[in-house]
Amino acid sequence: MSVLGECLIAFIFGSCVGVLVQRSRFCNAAALRDAILFKSFRNTKALLVAMIVLTIGFTGFMTIGQGHPMHFDVGLNQLIGLFIFGIGMVLAGACTVSTWVKAGEGNVGAAWALLFTFIGMFLFSLVWTVNYWPPAPISMTGEPNLEALQFGFANAATLQEKLKIPAIFFGILQAGVLYAIYRAIVKRENRHVQTNTNAVVKKVAAE
Amino acid sequence: MGFFSKTLDPVIALVTIAVLDIFLFVIVGAWTVGGGETMMTGLAAKAVLGDSIEKIPFWHLVFPPTWGYWKIYISLGMIFGAFVSAVISKEFYLRIPRRLSEWVMITIGGLLMGIGIRLAFVCNVSTFFGLTPQMNMGGYLAISGIIAGAWVGSMAYKKILGV
Repeated sequence: MSVLGECLIAFIFGSCVGVLVQRSRFCNAAALRDAILFKSFRNTKALLVAMIVLTIGFTGFMTIGQGHPMHFDVGLNQLIGLFIFGIGMVLAGACTVSTWVKAGEGNVGAAWALLFTFIGMFLFSLVWTVNYWPPAPISMTGEPNLEALQFGFANAATLQEKLKIPAIFFGILQAGVLYAIYRAIVKRENRHVQTNTNAVVKKVAAE
Repeated sequence: MGFFSKTLDPVIALVTIAVLDIFLFVIVGAWTVGGGETMMTGLAAKAVLGDSIEKIPFWHLVFPPTWGYWKIYISLGMIFGAFVSAVISKEFYLRIPRRLSEWVMITIGGLLMGIGIRLAFVCNVSTFFGLTPQMNMGGYLAISGIIAGAWVGSMAYKKILGV
């Protein structure tokens, strides 16, 4: 596909996401923050359902050798980087998606967060010059490089290749785990509603 | 126009996005935001610094700035779609944080997000909507990190704002 075609498809996809996120008020930061602080799971449940659909879809296509999986070595930098990101996301009150969407709604704070995300990226590019860690993708081999705290590359397709079991099988297993988490959240919510209802009934009866 | 007059169930929104993301995965690659943001940073740095940017190895070894990088247009599409949607639903208006503490938190939060994305090579979108559904080992590392980070951030948020 031509570069122009790729960019056009990306823009159309992004526009659809912008409309859907604006109308639904979904936010990844809220999905984690609200679950931790307020035991509110509105966004968390949506995130889990989307991950179930994506796991089945991606591993299904990977089974037949289709799709464009992300391909780079992973290591401790994913753990540390997303830890730092997670703190920042909650402090900024928005994730990467909602900064763009809220900025589009006229939220100056979100646009400010976006500006400082860019500044943070630029600062990191300067620090990278000092230690060259994590290694640049051009130097990645797919094999573990423990000296650089890199574990190599593995996904559902590599599992299929090594174990001769279709990638979709592993996808179904992961989807099952995600569904179990979703069910546990729904059960917890139902229990909470029941407890509240009982408390109200008792209060009314006492009065 | 009922679509723009009430809040959409996030489950419906996210399932629709997931289906579109599967199409995107087949055509060019899964949804991501951090990569496009990094490229925009590189393009902005090049516009300001000119050829001096060549002195920073990151911008020629990892992310040589180019406008032909498709991931940029996902972000531009998101802001465009949100703007159109907000205007149609009469929800577009300037919202400015009032307290100094909010500005400080947003500034620190933004910086940490930028540094974290570049250190990890992935953002939250790649983590939840790309790597993990592909069962990439990095997705599990990233999810562990983001949950721990969100917990620490939530505790800080609670302390600062007293919620």
